[in-house]
Amino acid sequence: MKTSMLAITATLIGTGAMAQDLPQADSAWFTDAQERLQAQLEAQPNTNTAKNVIILIADGNGVGTNYATRMFMGQQDGGFGDDYVMHHETFPSLGLVKTYNVNSQTPDSAGTGTAMMSGVKTDIGVLGVNSNVDRGDCSTLPGNEVANASEIFTELGKEVGIVSTARITHATPGAAYAHSVDRNFAATLPEGCNTQKTIADQLLDAMYEGRVDVAMGGGRRNFITGDMTDNEGDSGRREDGRNLIEEAQENGIAYAWNAETAGELPTDGSTPILGIFEDSHMSYEADRGDEPSLSEMTEIALTNLQAKAGDNGFFMQVEAGRVDHAHHGNNLARTVTDGAEFVRTIEMVDEMTNDEDTLIIVTADHEHSFALNGYCGRGSDILGLCMGINNQGVENTGEPVMAADGKPYTVGMYTNGSSSVLLEQPGGEFFGSRPVVTNEEAQDIDYVQQALVPRSSESHSAEDVAVYGKGPFAHLLEGTVEQNYIFHVMHHAFTAE
Amino acid sequence: MTNPTRRSIVAGLAAGFVPALARSATAEDMLKLRELYDANQNFSALAKELEGRTVSVEGFMAPPLKADIEFFVLTKKPMSVCPFCETEAEWPDDILAVYTRRGFDVVPFNRGIEVTGELSLGPRRHEDTGFLSMVRIENARFSYG
Repeated sequence: MKTSMLAITATLIGTGAMAQDLPQADSAWFTDAQERLQAQLEAQPNTNTAKNVIILIADGNGVGTNYATRMFMGQQDGGFGDDYVMHHETFPSLGLVKTYNVNSQTPDSAGTGTAMMSGVKTDIGVLGVNSNVDRGDCSTLPGNEVANASEIFTELGKEVGIVSTARITHATPGAAYAHSVDRNFAATLPEGCNTQKTIADQLLDAMYEGRVDVAMGGGRRNFITGDMTDNEGDSGRREDGRNLIEEAQENGIAYAWNAETAGELPTDGSTPILGIFEDSHMSYEADRGDEPSLSEMTEIALTNLQAKAGDNGFFMQVEAGRVDHAHHGNNLARTVTDGAEFVRTIEMVDEMTNDEDTLIIVTADHEHSFALNGYCGRGSDILGLCMGINNQGVENTGEPVMAADGKPYTVGMYTNGSSSVLLEQPGGEFFGSRPVVTNEEAQDIDYVQQALVPRSSESHSAEDVAVYGKGPFAHLLEGTVEQNYIFHVMHHAFTAE
Repeated sequence: MTNPTRRSIVAGLAAGFVPALARSATAEDMLKLRELYDANQNFSALAKELEGRTVSVEGFMAPPLKADIEFFVLTKKPMSVCPFCETEAEWPDDILAVYTRRGFDVVPFNRGIEVTGELSLGPRRHEDTGFLSMVRIENARFSYG
């Protein structure tokens, strides 16, 4: 009986392998894989012209970090984590992305943002310019600007929206609308710099000119001066006596600064939207108070773009900017809680759009020096200790794996950062030993995973990131690609005939 | 380094990311910095209950403002600077000023410590530096965590 059922399955699936009578054929692992195979065989590329393109970027969310968020979400869901499927992991297309900058093996978000928003790689630390500039030298800017997404896609007739949990003048959102020889020229410029405006100025210029219709994120301090205070009493960084937020409102742009005013924003497409919700970056999702979440901001932006664009379509960049910042602080708990909010945002965006006319791309700008230990049994908390493998069952033994120093270790760690186990000694030498950590201590939201190389801040790494896609021409996002190629896929999807 | 005014504002607005857990006021338990604040960035009920009493808090010693100074800032995580994402140090929201009984030896910023002393709430400005703190441990001593 068993054999005949297998034969029927084999006939239905119709693959050569299934014509054989295999003892493992009724295993769920086997049948699940056969279902996946069948789905892949039936998949057809979508070659519709894209009306809309949405790129969602989690800053610092390389393959390893994506794994950590998958484990976290799956374990929050009550499982072991490994077999959990995040929404973007259901997308049909997947590639690997090489993220290096022209002059830096280890990239930063300005160089990578420019690659994705302009289609060319450039140097580390610069926005919307090619690699002929010298970082920080305004005199090298003229003639070296490259067109960015807000310019290119507006010319195609698209509305443009930008959402980030980082400061809205930060590298990834800035790459969509700004040209700057230094990513740090957000509020002020060096003396004598007369070839460019500040990044905050450039955002407002883009909104006045209709190149950016929605901008939501953090960073009010870059829009007001030091003697002014914002909606929450914090002073600004500008030195030119201007209040760009008031100027924006006077020019008909709807403004929000907290959760309540965000909820009152018009979303009928009648008005450009500027939401700036914190003095600096927005809060980590784990700490969020009176401000909208990434998914809430994205819903507002997407609704407004859909209303305004209609059949003309839109381009939207959404950034989970603080995945990166939590990594910089060696704090995996906040990394994955922001990562989980990023995944919820992806799912919502997918639900609000149509695969027939909307290309959705999910990727990261770079990875971090985050690393994973072994050998851990199933169900070891991604935030906790590596527990032993159970040879008599599936779930881990509940006993921590001990290192050669007789101490347990966490599943995730960092190769460098401020939580280095090496301590500076009088005289300047560094040495030390690993602190003992319990599972409960490691699971705390404020726990910083141990690192080796002492640095004031944990660093990015050059490891590949993934790119996931669905919708028109998503099938072009396959193989191992240069990061600037992503722009070309988006542009092709918009312009294909 | 940010200026003392900025830091004092941060300290004043210090945000606990999680509401203080319901727990009885006792100095026997090691407190976490976040337990001193509620979800609205005000002092928690626990902090008010413990005001004036001896408490112990775990954290990290941020590099002192200058040598031979009688206070330091306790942070919940090692004080760090992100060279590629910040133009200057971003101080965390929840910090605590620690005034020691006497001078103290500087501990590497990434070495966990446990501070014990008298919990003091409300503004206090350090005369020499102008550093304004809103919550402190005074007459403090500390040990390695």
